[in-house]
Amino acid sequence: MTATALANAAGPIIEVHGLTKIYRVYQKQEGLLGAVRGLFRRRYREVRAVDGVSFRIEPGEIVGFLGPNGAGKTTTLKMLSGLIYPTAGSARVLGFVPWERANAFRRQLALVMGQKNQLWWDLPAADSFALHRAIYSLPAEQFQRTLGELTELFGVGHLLRQPVRELSLGERMKMELIAALLHQPRLLLLDEPTIGLDVVAQVTIRRCLREYNRRRSVTILLTSHYMKDVEALCARVLVITQGQLVYDGPLAGITEQFSQAKLVKLQLAEEADPEPFRRYGEVVHADGPLIELRVARQRLAEVLAAILDQHRVLDLNVQDPPLEQVIARVFEEARPVHEVDSQLTTV
Amino acid sequence: MRTLLHYGRLWLAFARFGLMRELSFRGNFLVKVSVELLWLIILLIFYDMVFTHTSVVADWSREEYLFFVGCYYALGGVIETLFLINCGEFAELVRTGDLDFYLLLPANEQFLITSRDLDWATLPNIFLGAGVSMLALMQLGWDFDLGRLLLFLLLFACGVALAYSFLVLLTAASVWLVRNQSLYEVWWLFTTFMRYPREIFAGRWAYPIGWFFTFVVPVIVATNVPARVMVKVLEPELAAYTLLASAVLLVLSRKVFYLALQHYRSASS
Amino acid sequence: MLRRPARLGALLGEVGKYGRIARIALVERLAYRLDFILSTLLRFLPMLTTILLWLAVYAGAGQLSGGQLGGFSLKEMISYLLLVHISRMFSSMPGLAQGIARDIREGNLKKYLLQPISILPYLLSYRAAHKAAYITMTAVPYALLFFLCRDFFAGWPSAPVLAAYLLSLLLGFLIGFFLEAALGMLGFWFLEVSSFLYVMGTLTFFLSGHMFPFDLLPAVFAQVLKALPFQYLAYFPAAIFLDKVPQEALLSALMTEAVWALALALLASWLYRCGLRRYSAYGG
Repeated sequence: MTATALANAAGPIIEVHGLTKIYRVYQKQEGLLGAVRGLFRRRYREVRAVDGVSFRIEPGEIVGFLGPNGAGKTTTLKMLSGLIYPTAGSARVLGFVPWERANAFRRQLALVMGQKNQLWWDLPAADSFALHRAIYSLPAEQFQRTLGELTELFGVGHLLRQPVRELSLGERMKMELIAALLHQPRLLLLDEPTIGLDVVAQVTIRRCLREYNRRRSVTILLTSHYMKDVEALCARVLVITQGQLVYDGPLAGITEQFSQAKLVKLQLAEEADPEPFRRYGEVVHADGPLIELRVARQRLAEVLAAILDQHRVLDLNVQDPPLEQVIARVFEEARPVHEVDSQLTTV
Repeated sequence: MRTLLHYGRLWLAFARFGLMRELSFRGNFLVKVSVELLWLIILLIFYDMVFTHTSVVADWSREEYLFFVGCYYALGGVIETLFLINCGEFAELVRTGDLDFYLLLPANEQFLITSRDLDWATLPNIFLGAGVSMLALMQLGWDFDLGRLLLFLLLFACGVALAYSFLVLLTAASVWLVRNQSLYEVWWLFTTFMRYPREIFAGRWAYPIGWFFTFVVPVIVATNVPARVMVKVLEPELAAYTLLASAVLLVLSRKVFYLALQHYRSASS
Repeated sequence: MLRRPARLGALLGEVGKYGRIARIALVERLAYRLDFILSTLLRFLPMLTTILLWLAVYAGAGQLSGGQLGGFSLKEMISYLLLVHISRMFSSMPGLAQGIARDIREGNLKKYLLQPISILPYLLSYRAAHKAAYITMTAVPYALLFFLCRDFFAGWPSAPVLAAYLLSLLLGFLIGFFLEAALGMLGFWFLEVSSFLYVMGTLTFFLSGHMFPFDLLPAVFAQVLKALPFQYLAYFPAAIFLDKVPQEALLSALMTEAVWALALALLASWLYRCGLRRYSAYGG
């Protein structure tokens, strides 16, 4: 049996059923009179941050959580790490109930949040790591080995003795990730890890995460609203909008499931008026001889035939709309999926 | 036993790194230490000024009162050194949500939140306070009495436990009060009850208040009982009560603290 | 000649803007009601213990009635301790310095730099509103307290003295504000100001006369403390009210106070400008 199969045999590393989190948000009333009224009676409304989410994740997977701001990704992540009590539903992570916060559970887990710092600001990263070692009671030799491996992987060996506040955002993020991985967690949760970072740093971090997952089979769950993160790392994607899971499966499947249109890019022999093209579909872009159309999938064949018949086309290109567009539309029309058609892909 | 050792070692690690961080701001560190000294001087000036105008204050003679001042200062030093900055940070951690990072660590939350950092700048206060008290004892011509000394130390520890428990209760309150006026301020107001001998609560109105803050909210007890044991007579009921109150308050404050954490975790997003 | 109305309009606009800010601050204040109630209550407690201590001191001195310590009889001492609370009500600026230092440290100053408002007038109107709210809210409990303690007072002072008293309170507000603001500006040079501020607070307790009137100290020290601006935060207004400042000296004393207020205002804004230069040098 392969290592992966062995790990799988132990069962899913995360199992979530109907996880729900509802908040009461107090309404602040406007103006001075409203504030005085607010002293005596408070009005509130309920926000369903997470609404009946269910899924399973096997060891070694890298899964992406995709969703617009406020969709409930971070809240779900925090519930999985035990930071927040759910309102309803259940979860088993690493064999534990997360919100009971057993020490043994916390030892196997790591959570890193983008733009949030858990390292000591004024001291070199090396000192924060040493403190980490004391907290997790890591034996010296193992600690040194892991630290060496991680600093080499992320390429930050020369920065260890610099105070954290002097590091760039990207370097700081790498240090945060190292700190998270020092105790060799089985599960790594990342919340918007590449937010605010420059392109080079983003690429490096994705590469390092992928490599680390390959070496250690650490399960990674990451939330992001950057498509690039998800495309680079995740074989499987969970799409959440307004607290509900609307898709669970491979990235490629999203376009198939949600996109009803194709993009047709035309290069005509001469400049053309975009008006007549409007009957084929939505004119996304018109620039002289270049015209970009959004055509409903069912009509594609007939539209192409009509265009080729009536116009002189130098070049024609048919594409799926970019994933961002598809996702953006998905977010706009939130359609809850109760029968989750999950094609679990093990890495 | 093993966990105790583990936490001991962990605390030493925090203390070491805390010192390194303090020393990286050398100027600030020295300022803090010298101003702490200044505060002691102010207290002694006040004490001296009062006793130029009178020879006894609320049943305490000049030297006895001096001992009391040293006691108060040392107790304050223990709380400030071990706990105050940690608790003071709590409200901010709750506000920014950075408290999450502490909740993720595989260590006892109350320890992490109340006791992780050592304030090196107030550490001298403990010794200064002890020094002042020892000076007072010498002025009193005190004969060395091991039993009394041990009892004093025990009750002093109870005083620390009481003060710590109240600090934890105040800290926990930051979760419910939307914006807590700096914990330092509230703590300062709280310690006014520890600052004076219990006997000042005399008279028709004051006596019940004194009684309340001795037996219901046992703040006054924290400094008064150890000091009384040393320079005045031993009152066994009061001493026993202090021991009991410390135990009860430690447990109560712990419960309230975890309740606060629970509330934080239900309310944060 | 034509310019003046336009400038006046702009000035009124400015005042209006800060007025609006003040009103928003008032709303904010009401929102934190529980915290507010609690802190009000807690302010009464140290007063209680201090009074009790002084009762014990005077009792111990064996001169319970008519006896004087530093020119203060027992009744005058108690009324002094009550009056310094009124002074502090006007001059204390909780959280001001910390707030400024924090804004500096976290790089929040951009909001002052990008918006057409200046930090000191903004904070001043904010504080003025908070104070107004606070004083309104605590007027009743304080009035009650003073009514209960009326036996300690020798009656109301004469009209000019009363006017001087009120003026000294307002100037005390300004002095307290600019003093704290200047301290907050230290955040430009020191990364960790909060514990320093905490101890500054306890020093102020002594230096302002909040702890006890300077006159109880040996004359030399009393003189020094009366030369510092801290006395205006607590001692000075109380001394005026209790007729401890001779009538002929009242006017010059108030002018000295006004000069201090101005000097501290200039200091605070100078520190701010220097600090800003340094701050933007780091690329904030």
